[in-house]
Amino acid sequence: MISRHVRETKKDRALSWVFLLPVVVILAVAAFIPLGYGLVLSFYKYKLNIPGMKPEFIGFGNYITMFKDELFIHSLTNNIVFALLSVGSEVLVGVIVAMMLSDDTKLSRLMTTIFMVPMIIAPVAAGTLWRMMLDRTFGVVNFLISLLNMAPVAWLANEKVAIYTIIFVDFWQFMPYVAILVLSSVKSIPESFLDAARVDGASSLKLFYKVVLPFITPVIIIVAMLRFIDAFKVFDTVFVMTQGGPGSATEMLPTYIYKQGIKFFQVGYSSATAIVFIIAMSVIAFAFNKLRSYQLRRLG
Amino acid sequence: MKPNTLLRKSALSNFLSKPVKIVVLAVILISVLFPLYWLVINSFKMEQDYFAQPPVMFPHPGTLKNFVDIFQKYQLARGFRNSFLIAGLTTVCTVFFGSLASYSLINGFLPRKIKGFLSSWFLIQKMYPAVVIAVPVFFVISRLKLMDNILALVVMNTSFNLPLVILLMNGYYQEAPYEVEEQSMLDGCDLWQRYFHITTPMTKAGLVAVGMLTFVASWNEFLYAVILTISKAKPLTVIIAGFITDKGLAWGPMAAMSCVVILPVLILMWTMQRDFISGMSAGALKG
Repeated sequence: MISRHVRETKKDRALSWVFLLPVVVILAVAAFIPLGYGLVLSFYKYKLNIPGMKPEFIGFGNYITMFKDELFIHSLTNNIVFALLSVGSEVLVGVIVAMMLSDDTKLSRLMTTIFMVPMIIAPVAAGTLWRMMLDRTFGVVNFLISLLNMAPVAWLANEKVAIYTIIFVDFWQFMPYVAILVLSSVKSIPESFLDAARVDGASSLKLFYKVVLPFITPVIIIVAMLRFIDAFKVFDTVFVMTQGGPGSATEMLPTYIYKQGIKFFQVGYSSATAIVFIIAMSVIAFAFNKLRSYQLRRLG
Repeated sequence: MKPNTLLRKSALSNFLSKPVKIVVLAVILISVLFPLYWLVINSFKMEQDYFAQPPVMFPHPGTLKNFVDIFQKYQLARGFRNSFLIAGLTTVCTVFFGSLASYSLINGFLPRKIKGFLSSWFLIQKMYPAVVIAVPVFFVISRLKLMDNILALVVMNTSFNLPLVILLMNGYYQEAPYEVEEQSMLDGCDLWQRYFHITTPMTKAGLVAVGMLTFVASWNEFLYAVILTISKAKPLTVIIAGFITDKGLAWGPMAAMSCVVILPVLILMWTMQRDFISGMSAGALKG
């Protein structure tokens, strides 16, 4: 960060701190204090569903339970599968779509506008929308595939299928996000780059591999990592579509933490899972920031 | 960002053959638009149409009953007011406090170390999942007797959106010409006057972009809304989720309410698409 001031007065120096004050207070009250409180709770056995139970200090007890808890491990694996498959498919298709929209015709611009719709509507609405469409008996999707002589699928009620359905809805919402960000990067490729390749008589496919792809790779990496981190925050769509079910087939870390803490009142245990979760996410976020600032430097 | 003109004529976008391209784009277009069409017509269907086989592709006759219902039975007006107040107040707080802090980071007189520390703190904070503090927040809020109170949601949403807003505003303040600042400093304006009258008005585009991102994010927010509201403070997103019960879905009201929650965001996006895209890509690539 470049500091650009000329001469400072006492008053201005004081005001600089005052300007920061509201943000620091809000973040302290709404983020740090709860986090600290959660850390403390994570060392206690504390169940609200047992009336009159006093919190009991059990050290790392909750943490040890967690790694033996199959449901927790299952939520974690589900979440990793969900993150890898949704982000992978979004990036792959998003890049192709971005390339197709890069000709900047009227049609492409109209498409870009329409594309923005899924990603800005409330995930809750997207979830209910697809839940209606994918209903086993009355859903339009099963009707459409019956026209193709295919048997109806229990999109949300089949343990093997449900997680892929959730992945699909995430893809529906966020593939356009990837496409639009990649598109803006494709559009910023300097013309001289493209000209040089064209003079050499490169084919379109070659142009893509030799010129376009290397240029947009840093953006692709950044967007993929952002989406990857977001994939571990998935809650709304799971909540309205399957509530983690059938069984625990679509349970993810956020829904698991929510259920343990808010629904089952396992306050201590839920806090411990949250703490492990945030430590893992901080490590990922930290690594990501390093990689991102490296990529941003490459972008110039 | 200006699209380069040569791209238009170039073969860049033709790396798939034309028929393939048309098919792919058509498939994508249909899969984006058909669900929305389905949602809209579902909100005009009569009760028995939801269970018709084959499904009713176009309701004839249609009905406005679902919209009347959500208005009369499901507290549409109150839900809308709550959503609007939560998103509106959050936007005002976030943009004001966020721009103040960002201005101080860029043009204020803080030790270098503090600036660096705060900037990386905000970056990390932007990425951590909100759910990790859900349980403690739930406790604190209920002890403070702020349960089912819009203010609690405004504070939480503000804290979620502040980091991104600050990071984005940093970029806009850095681009604002510093000479004007210096001149007004010589004219005897203090830091507040320079923030309020001189520099911030020059970043209007930035304020609009971050304001819009914040509004949409808090309008759509669900996790904390569902945890921290019981009845009278419920925003639209929570009401929608309430139509999913153990006994099944309330198809009509659910579709109608979903239309209501989507519409304002669509209008906002339609009118300010450019700011939206620029804010979004800055959020991903600059922050």
